[in-house]
This record gives sequence, C-alpha cells and structure tokens, in this order.
Amino acid sequence: MSAQPSMLEAHEIALSTEAVAAGYGGGDDIIGNVSVSLEKGSIFTIIGPNGSGKSTLIKVLAGLLPARAGEILLGGNSIARLSAPERVAAGLSYVPQEFNVFANLTVGENLRVSTEFLERKRRASADQRERVLAMFPEVAGRLKLRAGYLSGGQRQMLAFACAMMAAPIVLLLDEPSAGLSPKFVAEIFEKVKGVNATGVTVVLIEQNVMEAVRIADIVLVLVNGATRLLATPEDILTKHNLHKLYLG
Amino acid sequence: MIDYLITILTLVGIVAILGLALNLQWGLCGMVNFGMAGFFALGAYTAALIALAGAGTLAATLAAALVCAMACGFVAMISLRLSEEYLAILTLGFGEVIRLFVLNEDWLTQGSLGLPGIPRPFWGWVSEKTYEVWFLGLLITVVLVLFIALEVLLRSPFGRAIRAVREDDIVATTLGKNVVMLRVKAFALGGAIIGVAGAFHAYYLTYIDPSQFSAVITAYVFMAVIAGGRGSNRGLLLGAATIMVFIEGTRFLKDLFNVMDATQLAAIRLILIGLGLILFLIYRPQGFLAEYRLKSSVAVQKSASFLRRARLRTSEPKPH
Amino acid sequence: MTAQVVLNGFVTGMVVAMPAVALTLIYGILKFPNFAIGAMLTAGAYLALALNVYLSLPVLYAAAIGALLFAGIAVGIDQAVFRQLRERSAITLLVASMGVSFVLENIARFIFGNGARSFELPLARPKVVLGLRINSEQMVTAAAVIVAMTAVYVVLRHTPLGRAMRAVSDNPSLAAARGIDRERIVRWTWVIAGILTAVAGVLAGMDRAIDPLLGWNYIVTVFAASILGGLGNPVGAVVGALTVGIVEESSTLVLPPNYRQVVSFCVIALLLLLRPYGLAGAQRIKR
Repeated sequence: MSAQPSMLEAHEIALSTEAVAAGYGGGDDIIGNVSVSLEKGSIFTIIGPNGSGKSTLIKVLAGLLPARAGEILLGGNSIARLSAPERVAAGLSYVPQEFNVFANLTVGENLRVSTEFLERKRRASADQRERVLAMFPEVAGRLKLRAGYLSGGQRQMLAFACAMMAAPIVLLLDEPSAGLSPKFVAEIFEKVKGVNATGVTVVLIEQNVMEAVRIADIVLVLVNGATRLLATPEDILTKHNLHKLYLG
Repeated sequence: MIDYLITILTLVGIVAILGLALNLQWGLCGMVNFGMAGFFALGAYTAALIALAGAGTLAATLAAALVCAMACGFVAMISLRLSEEYLAILTLGFGEVIRLFVLNEDWLTQGSLGLPGIPRPFWGWVSEKTYEVWFLGLLITVVLVLFIALEVLLRSPFGRAIRAVREDDIVATTLGKNVVMLRVKAFALGGAIIGVAGAFHAYYLTYIDPSQFSAVITAYVFMAVIAGGRGSNRGLLLGAATIMVFIEGTRFLKDLFNVMDATQLAAIRLILIGLGLILFLIYRPQGFLAEYRLKSSVAVQKSASFLRRARLRTSEPKPH
Repeated sequence: MTAQVVLNGFVTGMVVAMPAVALTLIYGILKFPNFAIGAMLTAGAYLALALNVYLSLPVLYAAAIGALLFAGIAVGIDQAVFRQLRERSAITLLVASMGVSFVLENIARFIFGNGARSFELPLARPKVVLGLRINSEQMVTAAAVIVAMTAVYVVLRHTPLGRAMRAVSDNPSLAAARGIDRERIVRWTWVIAGILTAVAGVLAGMDRAIDPLLGWNYIVTVFAASILGGLGNPVGAVVGALTVGIVEESSTLVLPPNYRQVVSFCVIALLLLLRPYGLAGAQRIKR
C-alpha cells in the first residue's frame, strides 16, 4: 500500500516501516510487506479482525519480536536491529495489552523501574515524574499499593504512566481499552489524546473500532497480515465498508 | 575378553531397560524422574529380599515391579496438579529417601553390608560356565519384549491419550480424558519397568549394597535417553550402545595416565557424562535420530493458547 | 532439652537459608529449579578448603575470597551452559543443571578424592548462654548468615538492581520493554547466588567434614525450605529454611539423625499436596 497524499510527506516522519514481515517460532509469516509512515505528532490507529497480525506488528515495532524482513526507522534512524531496551532508550515506549505492570512491585516501584534503567538523557527528571503523576492522578494516589491489587482500569493507567516516564517520542499502545468498563474506555482515550497533545506520536491498535477511529489522524486496516487500507477516519466511516474489508 | 564384553553388554542391557522406563515417563508423559537410582535400588532390594526368602525369581521380579509401580504412582499422585518441575523435585527427594532408608534399616537391608547370595533365574538349568551368556540372552529378550510392548502402547488409545495430555492438559481435559489417572498410570508403568531392571541387576551381581545405586546410574540412563532422542525407543538402543562405547573408551584413560587411580577415573567418566548431557541438550536435543519433536504442533499450541487467553479474559485476576 | 534442639535447628536453618535464597532467586529470574545447588555448595566448600589448606589462609579470608571466586565461576557456568538454553523449557534447564552438578561434584572428586577433609580451624570451647550450649561455629554461622541475609534484603528492596531483579522475576518481557537488560540482571543474580552458596558451603564444611557428597546432605532440605517459602520468594525462603531446620532437628528426638532429609521430603510432599504456593503463597500475586 502506498503512503497517503502528498501533504503527509511535507511533515516530519516519526516512525516508518518498509516491507516488514514477521512470524513466531518456525511458523509462517503472520505479517508481510507492511509499509507505513507516521507523521510526527499524529495518532495512528491500526484496526483489523482477530488474528490479522495487529499485535504481532506492534511487538515487532517494540522490539519484542524480530522482523524477518524489511526496515524500521525511528526519526530516520534504523532501529530494526535494536533490542527492546535499546528502543526505549531511542525514544520508543510500549504498553503491552496484558501483564503490563509488575504485579509484585508497588505502584511507586513500577514507576521508578520504568525510568531507572534508561540512559541519563532519557531518565525521568523530577519534573517529568511530576508531570506524569499529574496526568495520572489515580496512579499518584496509590504509590504504596502493590500493582497486582489494582483494578483493570487502574492497571492500564499505571502501565500508561510507566511508558510515559521514559518521555517517549513514539508511544505504542496494544489494545489499551481491552477488558475495561465503558467509563474507563472513555477515560483511556481521553488520556491518549492528552498525551498526544504534548507532542507524542501515538500508534494504537484496537478492537474497539469506533473510539479508536474517532481519535485517529490516520487509520490502517490490517487483514491477514497485510495492509488493506490506509485512510483518514472520515473516509473510513463514510466511504468504506469495514465489514467487507475485514472479511475480504 | 569375551567375559568382559558380556559384562559390558549386560550393564548396557540394564541401562536400556531403565532407558525404556525413562522414555515412557519423560519422553511420552513429560514427567522427569530424577530419582531413577533410588527406584532402581527399591526394585533391586525388593527382588533380592523376596528371592532370598525363597519365593523364586519370577515372584521376586513381579514383586519388584509392583513395589516400584506403587512408589512411582504415589509420587505422581502428590504432584498431579503441579507443573513438571515439582515432580522432578519430588522424585529427586524420593530417591534420596530410599537411599537413606536402605542405609539405615539394616534389620531389613543389612545397611551398608549389603545382601549377598541372591539367587539367579534359571540357575542350574545351564552350566555355571555358560550362565552369564544365557543371562545376557534372557536380558536381551526382556529388552526386546519391553521394546515391542511399549511401541504397541504408544500407538494404542492409551498412548494417544497420554500424548494429548502432554501437549496441553487443559485441551485434553476438554476432550474428556481423565488427565489425573492417565499420568499416574503411565508413571507407575514406568516404575514397574524400573523394578524389573532392578531385579535383573540383583540377579546379575548376586550381591547388592547401597554403594551400587549412586547417581551414576541416573547419569548413564539420562545420557542414553538424550543421546538417542528423548521419547524414541529406537534411538534409545543406539544411545545405550553409545554408553558402551563411552565406558570402553574411557577405560584406556587409566592406562594412558598412569597416575590416575580408580576414583579419579570414575570422576573423569562422570565429568564427561555431565558435559555430554549438557552438549546434547544445547546442540542436539533431538538426539542422534531426529524423531523427537521439541514442540507440539502449531495447531495444538494455538488452540491451547486461545483457550488460556479466553480463560484469563473471563476472570478478574485475583491475588492468590 | 527442647530449647537446645530448637537452637540447633535454628542454626542449621540459617545455613540452609543461604542456598535456599540462592535457589529461589535463580528460580524467580530463570524459572527453573537449579539441581546443581548441592554441588555448588560442595564446590564452594572445596574452593575455600583449598585456599585454607594449600595457601594457608585463615578460614575467614579463604571463605571470603572463595565466595568471590565462586561467584565468577557461577556466572561462567551460566554463560557456558544455561545461557545457551534460555528459551528452552524448565525441564531442559533442570536436566542441564543435573549435568552441571555431575561436573562440579566430580571435579572436586578428581582433585581431592573421596576422603573427608576439614578446615584448619583454631580450637574453641563452646560457650554456655542461658543454659544453652553454643559453639563458636554456630556463632560464626549466625553472624555470617545475618549479615548476608540483611545485605540481600537491602539489595532487593532498596536498590535499582533489586528492583530490576524483582521486575525481571515478575515479567521478563515487560522488563525488557521498560529498558531493563535481562542478561545483566541474570549475571548479577548468579553472582549473588554464587556468593550465598559458597559461604553456605563453608559453614556446612565447618559443621561436618567436607567430601564430594557434602551437598547431597542438604539438597532436599534446601528444596523443602524454598518450596515452603514459595519458589521465587526470598523472604519466604529464609522463613522456610528456619522452619525446616527446626523441624528436622526436632525429628532427631524420635528418628535416627540420618533421616533428616526424609523429614524434609515429607514436608515437601505435604506442602505440595495441601498448599502448592508455599505458606507465604498468598503474598505473591501469580497470574
């Protein structure tokens, strides 16, 4: 799939991939020939049916799964060979869908651990920590609590806050609203917009299509590991039949 | 020279029987038995005591098989709901328990003095001079019978059920298999085979004492199984032959480095076995013959993980 | 009489606490029970013995230097063996650790033979405190273990390394996503485990003679302690060790002393039947 109309190319590209392919273990490719370009400061939503490879793609971007082919560029620099910790150092933060906090560490320790092992320049200053805590008050009020005792929604907020401690340039979110009550779903997407407003480029994969498409700048529809459609939210909602896309 | 060859082959034969048991317990059922030496001792002592009491070697062999089967069944029962590592720990512990029991209960086992004068099967049927050869023949027959029986078992419904359980017991449960008892039965069956091996060991040496049942046996058996490819009985026979080559090969070390005494030679052998185990695990876990599959098929894995995720999603994570 | 038994058991428990913590740390980070823990104890004892007897170092220095050397050996073993098996199942790692155990034990046997050895220690008379006999080995043991356990506790709870260790133990891929280099943490874990086990080896060697089978006298007890505390839970391992030590010692009132590990085995068996996550299981949040 080619990139969007020319107005995108005028802006800086925060993250891009070229013909990326990946799979698990000795199996077939789950995703193949995925090429995308993310404009800095945008929200990029990836949707698609179950098993389409959305999670695989995001893990590849995060460095938790190696790409079998293709290139990944962060701000123009190749990161395909970097390990996950190295990508964090380079400015890429990831919030997994499940098991996204350290259950046996306290909330406070979770936050500390998310910044202690970064290089000096990425390590959160006291200011950064204050800012993150201000953005996530439900986290700030529970520093001594073991993360495993948090509710699903609170855990999600904590996971988000931890990713933000690294002051990322690009934030990868794997189904942030999964398993959350409607109240929390709305809150999470508000937070996503809030974070994006501070200049962070956000990549978001979601099952919850309506909300995720609504806040996006660009939407990618991934089906069977290949890009089926790259369009703006308006286009998606008015012109295209998602149902047919998902099944076809 | 021939006598020496017969001795080695007999040892290899007994290791082969133990290997068949380990292949059943570990290879087929995924239940590691680190107490191999201890269960082996249990079998040997049971057979020896029953035979010494005059019941005849057939009864003694059956008794050994039964006692070991029960012991293995017991250990399997305890660790049923737990992951494999716990069974491994338990078998290790149980092996130690048996060893200590044998050492301490001298009223029964004569402790470190050992039990001499153990009767032999078919003794008196052939001349004393040729007995060892006949014994070896008997042993090989037993190995082959067990081999065939186990291959048949593998292809039977029982064998298929066990394999299903090993791949993923949650999936197997949804298919209606009684996971619990399958594992216990399979492990106990392995135990019976170990008992038989122990009995033959007792008959062959006619004298047993605790020092014969050290971890060396465990090392040899694991080596044979891993070299042959865990789970592959054909490979096991090849692996057992490797042991023979190994023992023969290292015998020359003693002549080569005159300064070494028997303890040091024994130590070198074990160091090499340990290294061999490690190297095989790292570089050729499927053994010499590539029959054994490391991971279950992708399809089963996918359905298993789908089920697991479905379970997780529907329940709120709680602290235990 | 019982007070003496409890005291002796307590001190034995302290010796066992160190390898139990080592075992539980390795389990937490690498997810497998390290069967070589007994042989590591033996090797640590022999290393200190060699320094003590052949280099004429006093036991204290021999133990300290031996422990540091052994920490290096432990990391070396990890790099040579376990690192090549990182992605494999716990059972594969288990069998590999058994291989390591054979190698370590028999290197010791090759060099030192099967005979029993002991440290060159100055003689000291036992003291009597509150009607209980305490010999100098027990006092040294208590001091060493208290220092070591306190250090481990401080590291785990209050240092970045400790937090990282707990994070990797909790969720290795998340730890990677948060910038923690797993291999570095693994190496440090082996350093700590190596030091703890080697020192325990020295303490054990002071209590009974050193021979290649030294570790086998403790292995079931160590596992019982760790399982009692919940595999992966260091504080639990200490509590478990003290408990098991006292239980074992008390059993000598009714059973022959050689049956200590039988008692520990029964503890393991009972525990696994009734409470698989250990007594402290409720504390640890598992998924």
